[in-house]
Amino acid sequence: MQMRTASAISTGLHVAVLLWATLSFTGETFQVTPAQSLPVDLISEKQFSEMTKGIKEAPKPVEKPKPLVEKKADEVKPVEDLKPKIAKKKEIKPAAEKVPEPQSQPKPDPIAQKLKQHPDQPKQAKAQPTPLPPKRPPMRKQPKFDADKIAALLDKRQPMRTLATGVEANDAPTLGTALGNAAALSQSELDALRARLMALWNPPVGIQDPQDYVIRIRIRLGRNGRLTAPPVVLTSGRGQLFDTARDSAVRAVYRGQPFDMLKPEHYEVWKDIEVTFDPRDMFRG
Amino acid sequence: MKQSIFDPFSFRLGAALLDRRRLLAGAGAGVLAALSPRRAGAVLSIDINQGNIQPMPIALPDFLAGTPDELATARDVTSVITNDLQRSGLFAPINPQAYVEKITNTDAVPRFGDWRVINAQALATGRLTRQHDGRLKAEFRLWDVFAGKQIDGKQYFTAPDNWRRIAHIIADSIYETLTGEKGYFDSRIVFVDETGPKRQRVKRLALMDQDGYGVRYLTDGQELVLTPRFNPSTQEITYMAYGQGQPKVYLLNIETGQREIVGNFPGMSFAPRFSPDGQRVIMSLQQGPNANLFVMDLRSKQTTRLTDTPAIDTAPCYSPDGQWICFESDRGGSQQIYVMPAAGGPAKRISFGEGRHAGPVWSPRGDYIAFTGLIGNQFAIGILKPDGSGERILTEGFHNEGPTFAPNGRVIMFFRDLGPGPFLYTIDITGRNELKEITPSYASDPAWSPLLS
Repeated sequence: MQMRTASAISTGLHVAVLLWATLSFTGETFQVTPAQSLPVDLISEKQFSEMTKGIKEAPKPVEKPKPLVEKKADEVKPVEDLKPKIAKKKEIKPAAEKVPEPQSQPKPDPIAQKLKQHPDQPKQAKAQPTPLPPKRPPMRKQPKFDADKIAALLDKRQPMRTLATGVEANDAPTLGTALGNAAALSQSELDALRARLMALWNPPVGIQDPQDYVIRIRIRLGRNGRLTAPPVVLTSGRGQLFDTARDSAVRAVYRGQPFDMLKPEHYEVWKDIEVTFDPRDMFRG
Repeated sequence: MKQSIFDPFSFRLGAALLDRRRLLAGAGAGVLAALSPRRAGAVLSIDINQGNIQPMPIALPDFLAGTPDELATARDVTSVITNDLQRSGLFAPINPQAYVEKITNTDAVPRFGDWRVINAQALATGRLTRQHDGRLKAEFRLWDVFAGKQIDGKQYFTAPDNWRRIAHIIADSIYETLTGEKGYFDSRIVFVDETGPKRQRVKRLALMDQDGYGVRYLTDGQELVLTPRFNPSTQEITYMAYGQGQPKVYLLNIETGQREIVGNFPGMSFAPRFSPDGQRVIMSLQQGPNANLFVMDLRSKQTTRLTDTPAIDTAPCYSPDGQWICFESDRGGSQQIYVMPAAGGPAKRISFGEGRHAGPVWSPRGDYIAFTGLIGNQFAIGILKPDGSGERILTEGFHNEGPTFAPNGRVIMFFRDLGPGPFLYTIDITGRNELKEITPSYASDPAWSPLLS
C-alpha cells in the first residue's frame, strides 16, 4: 500500500518534472540583435599622418570642440517619422546618431507631456552633463507623439555634423612633442623605416646570448635616401658570431636603400640616424 | 689537408683595422659633438627589435678550372656546396640562369651591382687548379654583396679524389661565416642498413657522407647489429651485435676494420656510447630483470658500476663536458630521463612532459637533450633543456626514433618507419626543414660523426 502511494507520488512527480521540462525548455529561437556594422575607412599612410601630425608652432587649441558637443545635443532624431528629413543629411549619421538620441529626449518631454507628473525630469537632464542616465526613463514614457508638434522638436540650426568625422576633423594644428621630431617626421615615415629594416634584417640563427649581440649603427643619409658613407658600427664585440650579427645588421641597412619613405622636406631630421638592432626579443630563452 | 690560408688573415686584419679606425673617427666625432653646441635631437634613433629570419639568397657560380681537365670537377664541387647549403635550410641558392656577371677571374673584385640586382646577399667564387705534384688546389672567396667586401677566403690542397670533402669543407666555411655557427657538412653518418623481407631483415652497419654519398658497408649482415655510436674524437664506432650467443658491445675501427669486444661480461651488454674524450665506453649491463649503468675505461679495461637500482637503467649519454650523464630509467614507474654526475651519485629526473621519454642524447653544444617521446601509441622526437625545461616536440607520428645530433647541435637525424620499413630524416632543432636522407635501402639507428677535420 505504502509502496503503491510512494510509487504513485514518484510517478506523478516525474511526470510533472518531465512535462515542465518539455514545456519550459522548448527553445525560443535565438534573438540575434543584428550587429551594426562598424564604419571602417581605409586611409593611406599619408592621410593618417596628416590626421595625427602635430606642428610645433601651432597655436594653443581654442575652445573649438564645444560647439560640436552642443550641436550633437540639439540634433534631434527621436522619431522614425522624420526619416525623409534625416535622409537628406549625410551618411555619417549611423555612428553619431546614438549619442544625440538620449539628450534629445528631455526636450520633447516637457512639450508632449507637460500635463503629466514629471516637471522635474527635464531639469535633471539639463543639470547632468552626462547624457546617459536621464535617457532611460523618458524613453518609456513617451509613446504617444504629437505629430503636430514635430516642428517644435526640429533642430533649426544648420546641420554641422560633418565636423565630427573625416579627414578634416582635427585640422586645427596641435603642439608637437617635446623633441620636435614628430613635428617634422611623421610617425608613418618612422614606422615605414622601421618596417623596412625589420623585414630586411636576417639575424644569425645561432644566437644564444642575445644580449651580447645588440648592434648599434650610425648611418648618414643623403637627400636621395642613400647612404653618404658606410654605416658606422658603434658596438664592439668579438667572435665569429658577433661578426656575423654585425654584418647582418649592416647588410639590412645597405639593402634598405634608398630610404624613400623619408620625405625630402624632413631631410634635416633623418639625415643622421642611429639604428639599434636588438635580437633579444627574438631569441629569448 | 688545410695547408695555407691566404687572405682571411690579411683581410680580417684589414677589416679590424678599418673598424677600429672608424671607431676612432666615431669617438673623435663624439668628442667634437660634445664640445660644440649640440642641436637637441639631432640624431634620430630607432630600435629594430624584430628581424625576419629567412634563407639567405646566395649566388654560387661554378668554380673556375685551371685547365679544362678540372672543368667537370669544378662543376661538381660547386653543386656539392650548393646542395649542402640548400639542405641546411638557411640558404637559398639563386638559380645560375639569373646571374648577370660571368665570373672569369676569382682574384678580381666582382661587380657587386650585378649581384645586387638579383638580390644575392652573398657570393662565393672559387677555382680549382691541378698542381705540379698532381694535387688539387681549391680556393674560394666569399663576398658580402651589399657591403661590397670580402668576408672569407681560403685555399686547400688535396688529392683529386678528395674533391667531395673539399666541397663540404668550403660549404662549412661559408656556413660558419654567414650564420656564425660551425658547419656540419664535412661529417659522416653510420647507420644500420636494412634489406630483405620484413621477417628476415639483413642488418648491416653502413657508413656514408652526411649528404648520402659514398655508402660503404662495415659488417656482412651475418649478425644483427644495433645502436652504432661514433667516438667523438676518433673515427671509431661502438655498437651492439647479436651473434650466436648473447648480445655484446663491440668496438670497430672504420679505417682498419679491426673489431674487438668491449669487456667480457656474463650477461647481455647493450646501449653503448663513448665518453666525450673517447677514452671510455658507458653502457647497460643486464642483471636478472634489471639493467644498470657501467662505464669501462678502454685502456685499463677497468669497469665501474654507476647505478644500482631494481629497475632498467639504459641509454646513457655523456654531456659534452663529460661532467654529467643523462639516461633513461623506469625506476619511477615509467621510462623517463634522468641526469646524474658522471662520477656517480644521485640521479634527478628531468622529463615531466606528456608520455614516456626514452633514448636521451646530449647535444654536442650542450644546450639540449633530444629524446624519443612515447605519447599514446605515437613515437615522437623532441628536445628539452638539461634542467628539464623547454620541452618541445619536433616531429611526431606513427614511429619516429633514435635521434642523433649533427656536430654543431643544430640538426637532428632520426629514423621514421611508416610501415614497410624505416628511412632516415633530418630536422632542424627549431622543428623546421624536415628532409629525407638518401639511403640505398631501408635504414635505421643513425649516428652522426664529429667533424672530420
